[in-house]
Amino acid sequence: MTEPSPTLAPPEHASGAGFTRTLINKPEVGPLVLLVVMLVVFTAINPAFISITNIGNALTFTVELGLIALAMTLLMTAGEFDLSVGSVFGFAPVVMWTLFNEAALPLSVAFLVAILVALLIGLINGLFVTRMRIPSFLVTLGMLLVVRGTALWLTDGFPQRTWKADDQWLSGVLVGEFHVGSLRLYMSLIWFILLAVMFHYILTRTRFGNWIQATGGNPIAARNRGVPTGRVKTILFMLSAAMAAFAGIISSIRVSAANPNSGTGYELEVIAMVVIGGTALAGGRGTIIGTVLGVLILRLMRNGIVLIGVPGLAYNIFIGAIILGMMALHAALERRHNAGD
Amino acid sequence: MAETEAPLVEMRNIQKYYGRVHALRDVNLRIKRGEIVGLLGDNGAGKSTLIKVLSGAVPYTSGQIFINGQEVNLRSTNDAIAAGIETIYQDSALIPQLSIARNLFLGRELRKGPGFMDRLDLDRMNEVAASLLKRVGISKKIPPTTAIGSLSGGERQAVAIARAMYFDSDLIILDEPTNNLGVAETQGVLRFVREARDTGHSCIFIAHNIHHVFQVVDRMVVMRRGAVVADDLSPRTSSIQDVEDIITGEHAA
Ligand SMILES: Nc1ncnc2c1ncn2[C@@H]1O[C@H](COP(=O)(O)OP(=O)(O)OP(=O)(O)O)[C@@H](O)[C@H]1O
Ligand SMILES: [Mg+2]
Repeated sequence: MTEPSPTLAPPEHASGAGFTRTLINKPEVGPLVLLVVMLVVFTAINPAFISITNIGNALTFTVELGLIALAMTLLMTAGEFDLSVGSVFGFAPVVMWTLFNEAALPLSVAFLVAILVALLIGLINGLFVTRMRIPSFLVTLGMLLVVRGTALWLTDGFPQRTWKADDQWLSGVLVGEFHVGSLRLYMSLIWFILLAVMFHYILTRTRFGNWIQATGGNPIAARNRGVPTGRVKTILFMLSAAMAAFAGIISSIRVSAANPNSGTGYELEVIAMVVIGGTALAGGRGTIIGTVLGVLILRLMRNGIVLIGVPGLAYNIFIGAIILGMMALHAALERRHNAGD
Repeated sequence: MAETEAPLVEMRNIQKYYGRVHALRDVNLRIKRGEIVGLLGDNGAGKSTLIKVLSGAVPYTSGQIFINGQEVNLRSTNDAIAAGIETIYQDSALIPQLSIARNLFLGRELRKGPGFMDRLDLDRMNEVAASLLKRVGISKKIPPTTAIGSLSGGERQAVAIARAMYFDSDLIILDEPTNNLGVAETQGVLRFVREARDTGHSCIFIAHNIHHVFQVVDRMVVMRRGAVVADDLSPRTSSIQDVEDIITGEHAA
């Protein structure tokens, strides 16, 4: 019966407590601060951290998980997540190289087939989740096992040869090297930047982006407003699988091997990157900028703690601590945000 | 009076089963243009079910629905929205994370530029939203970019009603819009309902608080155990006690 009096002043307009307000409205600020602190600390301890070679190396690895994280951000904003991305990451290159090596298909055709197979995997995930109402945790866990199992079965567990990739135009477009000064970079970085900009645009500026946020924020209301929430989610599951396949193929060309086991455990690392960046696990709020920061944080952390002399095996301790710390921050902000109404 | 004109909405012999639960028993309901109808009944009487049928949210087992004299087949909320029926649920009408403007236009966003870019016209959406907020009287210092999550219950209700008014829905359905609202906010909602009528919209108003209903409606319909038991009660000729008796079924008639 007691109704809080209409003490209404939306956060943006109330003065005071400015920093907290900024943190609430811009979930990217937390990860940005963390990233800067990390850069400063690592560089202070070991100046080699900020060296050209190291940055080039870090960026290369960043991109492959980052591509998956971009799609995962949209999917999680819509209120679902995908545990099968790591297995698709391993499976798609196996499909592509098997077709190329054994069926003698042109590499570009094999590439398209692999992406189509991934889209089909995403479609099945999406239909199970939206039509049969099975939680995405279970659906994509099952899919993870099916896809990984298929990759192992197809290859008898052995890596596929990719050694003929060098003279293919496609491999040049996907992972060709180029130099900016003495900084050696791969084409995949360009792809990552382009796709990050595109995904940011989709999420914040398009009608589809509005639907993604509505689907995750309040699915019943969204459906009542005529938003095709099932279709939105299914498209995003397909996007997530396609991006995982794309990333896996890029990786296989770069390391010249299509290992059916590669990508194991990536799903959790990707989800960690996304939530550290400020996207809500429960859906409704997502940020591509935050995800890019989250990707950089985890990758530079992995790279940095080795450079400053912490045993690489301790990496997970730091990652876990960062996740817990960032979640505590986001949760605290969320609570203050909601306390206002 | 204007019996020659087809009613805005007519529901005929609507039956609804949820499995074995007979939620609507042969319900007939007519809503005229510009009429505000209060829908009353105890918990579980079937009020929400009836309006969900009318808003396309749940399928009905049998019966017919006419809008402007035309029989319609409402298979989804989209069908109902297209037919000019806007439904506002107290708790599930809005997306807390999205701004007022994005909520107002959800499902019918304004876009600009080439179609494949799918680009929102945010400037115009914000502009229209600001003027709508002024119209429903909550423009004070609340910009249209504010997230719904930081509005009070009454303000949210106002936003939902503003949306129905903007899209010129012929019929606005409000399911318990005054639930959990403070005194001032309740008055605000009742004012919007009157304003909606003055601008030519019809309204179905569901509330457990009969005093609220009496303040705004032209006519009251009472449901009991899935059936309409009275549909011609006027707040001018019936007393609150009469209506309460009909709701509980205590009077014999
Ligand atoms: N999804 C459902 N599945 C099964 N039975 C349902 C469902 N929704 C409602 N019912 C049943 O239908 C009957 C009518 O419910 P309804 O929600 O329409 O009542 P109401 O008049 O809106 O009540 P209240 O005033 O409590 O909101 C109740 O017996 C209810 O238990
Ligand atoms: Mg109800």
